Amino acid sequence: MKFIIAIAIFGTMAANAQTVPAEKDSVQTLEEVEVVGTAKKKIETDLKMGVTVDEYLSSSTDISFIKRGSFAWEPLLHNMSSERASVTIDGMHIFGACTDKMDPVTSYVESNNLSGIAIKSGQTGSLHGATIAGNIDLNRKNTPFGLEKKWGASYQSGFEFNNNQWFNLGNISYSGKRLAADASVSYRKAGNYSDGNNDEVKHSQFSKFNTSLGMAYKTGERSSVRADAIFDVAKNVGFPALPMDLWLSRAIITSVSYRQLFEGKLAKNWETKLYFNAIEHYMDDTTRPENLVHMDMPGWSTTYGLLSKTSLQQGRFTSEIQLNAYENLSIAEMHMYPQDRSKKTMFAYSWPEVTTRFAGVSANGSWEISEKSRLNFGGAVALHYNRSKYAEFNRIFHPEAAAEKTRFLPNLHLGYLLETGDFQFSIGSGYGHRAPSVSEGYGYYIYNSFDRYDYIGNPNLKNEISYEINAGAGFKNNKASIEAKVNYFYIKNYIVGKILNAGSPMNYQSVGVKGYTSLPHATLFNLSLNASYQVLSNLHWEAALTYARGRDANDGNLPFIRPLSYQTTLHFKVDQFGLQTSFNGDATQRDYSPFYGEDQTPAYAIWNVSADYTFAMGDCVTVVQVGAENLFDQYYSTYADWGNIPRMGRNIFTSLKFNF
Amino acid sequence: MALCCTAVSCTIDKADYEAEAGNSETDRYEFEEATTLHTQGYNISIEVPNGEFRKGYNEIRVKIEDSKGKNANASTVTSLPIMSRYADGSNLSCPHQYHLTHNDDGYFEGYAVFTEESEKGDWQIYIGFTVNGVSYQTNGSITVNEQTNKNLNMTSFTGNDGEAYTIALIAPRKPEVAENDIVAGIYKRNHPTGEPETFPDSSHFSYSRVNGYTLQLDPRMPEPSMGNHSSPNNRDLTQQSDSLYHGVVNYTMTGNWTLNFILLDQSGKIVKGTKVPSDFTPGVEGVKSELFIDILF
Repeated sequence: MKFIIAIAIFGTMAANAQTVPAEKDSVQTLEEVEVVGTAKKKIETDLKMGVTVDEYLSSSTDISFIKRGSFAWEPLLHNMSSERASVTIDGMHIFGACTDKMDPVTSYVESNNLSGIAIKSGQTGSLHGATIAGNIDLNRKNTPFGLEKKWGASYQSGFEFNNNQWFNLGNISYSGKRLAADASVSYRKAGNYSDGNNDEVKHSQFSKFNTSLGMAYKTGERSSVRADAIFDVAKNVGFPALPMDLWLSRAIITSVSYRQLFEGKLAKNWETKLYFNAIEHYMDDTTRPENLVHMDMPGWSTTYGLLSKTSLQQGRFTSEIQLNAYENLSIAEMHMYPQDRSKKTMFAYSWPEVTTRFAGVSANGSWEISEKSRLNFGGAVALHYNRSKYAEFNRIFHPEAAAEKTRFLPNLHLGYLLETGDFQFSIGSGYGHRAPSVSEGYGYYIYNSFDRYDYIGNPNLKNEISYEINAGAGFKNNKASIEAKVNYFYIKNYIVGKILNAGSPMNYQSVGVKGYTSLPHATLFNLSLNASYQVLSNLHWEAALTYARGRDANDGNLPFIRPLSYQTTLHFKVDQFGLQTSFNGDATQRDYSPFYGEDQTPAYAIWNVSADYTFAMGDCVTVVQVGAENLFDQYYSTYADWGNIPRMGRNIFTSLKFNF
Repeated sequence: MALCCTAVSCTIDKADYEAEAGNSETDRYEFEEATTLHTQGYNISIEVPNGEFRKGYNEIRVKIEDSKGKNANASTVTSLPIMSRYADGSNLSCPHQYHLTHNDDGYFEGYAVFTEESEKGDWQIYIGFTVNGVSYQTNGSITVNEQTNKNLNMTSFTGNDGEAYTIALIAPRKPEVAENDIVAGIYKRNHPTGEPETFPDSSHFSYSRVNGYTLQLDPRMPEPSMGNHSSPNNRDLTQQSDSLYHGVVNYTMTGNWTLNFILLDQSGKIVKGTKVPSDFTPGVEGVKSELFIDILF
């Protein structure tokens, strides 16, 4: 009820901040950097404007998803699982509280509290902390000071027919001379979806409430403080691919920052942020009477952090230097209830109170060698410390394991960019370490319903070390563009689960026990091709193709590597009327990995269409959209659908948006 | 701010693992007087952990003082527990140390492994000692209570060799989800020689520690939902210098566990016990060895 009232209030406000360019007088320079960087990016895809964060991310060719249902997809960056990528919110580190990865960081934000998502590949993403695959930084909305239009608001509502999803997103912003504020509230509620055969996929419902508030106050001519908070609640979320659902997860994500601009100095600005976030996550299996044993699996993740960064400029040289420090405490419990409830419960920690401390300094630099060429470089050094409070759990499988472990994590990258005429070329390389995740290092009988093994962490794992090369070539003129990007990762001590010949499963669904071990190495190759062409002034065509190949040290295939995939989109726009159609699919999964529990996923292709109409009602710009995803009701599941759960069949969606 | 407070306080409380892993019953282990006997001016104080005799392994301390409360400087202190069954009036004893060991604190130490609780019969403890060359003999009734700490359970059985054995768990008193050192005493009833003399004739109620055997261990969770779950890196129990049997048991979670045993004699012959299936069988109650002890923590 709360949210409906809030939306009603927002609905009555009028103004629009997003499309108004910031003026550059001295009073207003303060938040200018952000405005230029993000104002044009909207969280919507070509096809659909009422997207979730997941749907938006999936429009990037660098990202694929492991899907365990219709909610909280786990993003894979360059075909690498979430341990290998860092996901941050404005540089803040957050860690999910679910041992089964039901809650990636992206599940705790909503499209209407973000202004954009910055994806950095490989070691170029090490600014926010050690990584292998790169960094996904979710950028909060951030209204600048002193806009012409003081108040802005938008409201969006929509309905999706396949799963009866109804969503409401409301935003409001204020831009005063000294005070600026952003607030958002959203609610989504969906029932079970139906697959292409019109069969209901049970336990695929979800509901999510999200609200955020950001306030900035100008403390001086060139300084400001800002406080931000996001509060997110997901309730009654089904995970059809897992043996358990989610009863409740809650996150509070807060930060305060101080920002100072300098003029005519080497340092252009300096920003320091303190942050705190806490996540609680409660799985629920009472909805699954078929389960042999009732289990409670609550998890908690709490992070405190500090981020301090400065931008430097000297002639042709620009640089960013950032200090990152955080402490995370991850706790996950497993309570099993015997059939005879009068007996004592069985208990173990899935994460035995694991503390992670991280402190590092990173720098990115850019040197403009000439008008046409640029050298990008950067690096980071960090200390990473883990402590397992109940290390005796870990010692059952690793009797010699120490409760504490400190690691040194260096990261380096170097790239060269050349632009001549309409052509652009780039080449780069990187070297970096990452520490094992909490689950990889200290996890205890974490059931993986994909390969049906219980996973045991290994505190003695070595750092994973990545050697990376990448290259790109592109052509772009007024009418057409084409770009090819490749990267190749050689990853030493690649962490995977290997069958242990010791112990026996704890979860009744599992077939055995796997321990995290390091392969001598693994390699990963990613290729993406993007092209666009302006066929007519009002007809635009885009296409993308990706190919990836992952191999382990024995030349076996790595799991969750996306097969050849393609997508193509046509946009047609006449005056206020727009029509889009897109076609996308994956080829047959040729290089699947039975060794890691995969079976071959057949090819699929789906077709989507949408139409929208934009009109003005006084101050209010209104867009209505109607469309259909999977128009031909194709029954399919992708290579990364956990347990081969089928994807959604035909989904007709409607959306209405008001911008004031 | 209000939002912040509601979110920081957790919806479901975290488990208090340390409290859950050990209740006060198993945490406390202090010698307290369980009973006193009096004979001809001497006071015999018998102390056991927490002041209560319990079924299973009991450490015993005996202190003998004269009427002035001074250490009586006794020697050759013996202890013999005998139960007279209510059912048939028969007398039986249990594994025990007959000749107690003198320690530096003035105590005489030993143990008794009570195989029955007092509700089955009347337990008497017979204490003998010598002061200044004079032998004294006395006895008194004691109460043997139920063993509330299931981690100190015991089992008595007749081996394939026809001998009467008792296996009693001594440690860990408070197991953890961890690698636990497990200690057990293995005892065998001695065959009496000749007719009994005056009651009680200790040679007719004599037990000895079994030497050089091996107690093979296979711990499993018997609960059907646990599907015969086991743990890695366990070590069979072998006899160490304290003549007790030491091994390693790993408990992967709290709850009910069955310690499945196979007792082997010096030549490796099976005295008792059967191999249990190692298959993971969800929904089926775990099959137990012929020789087992159930524990719970």
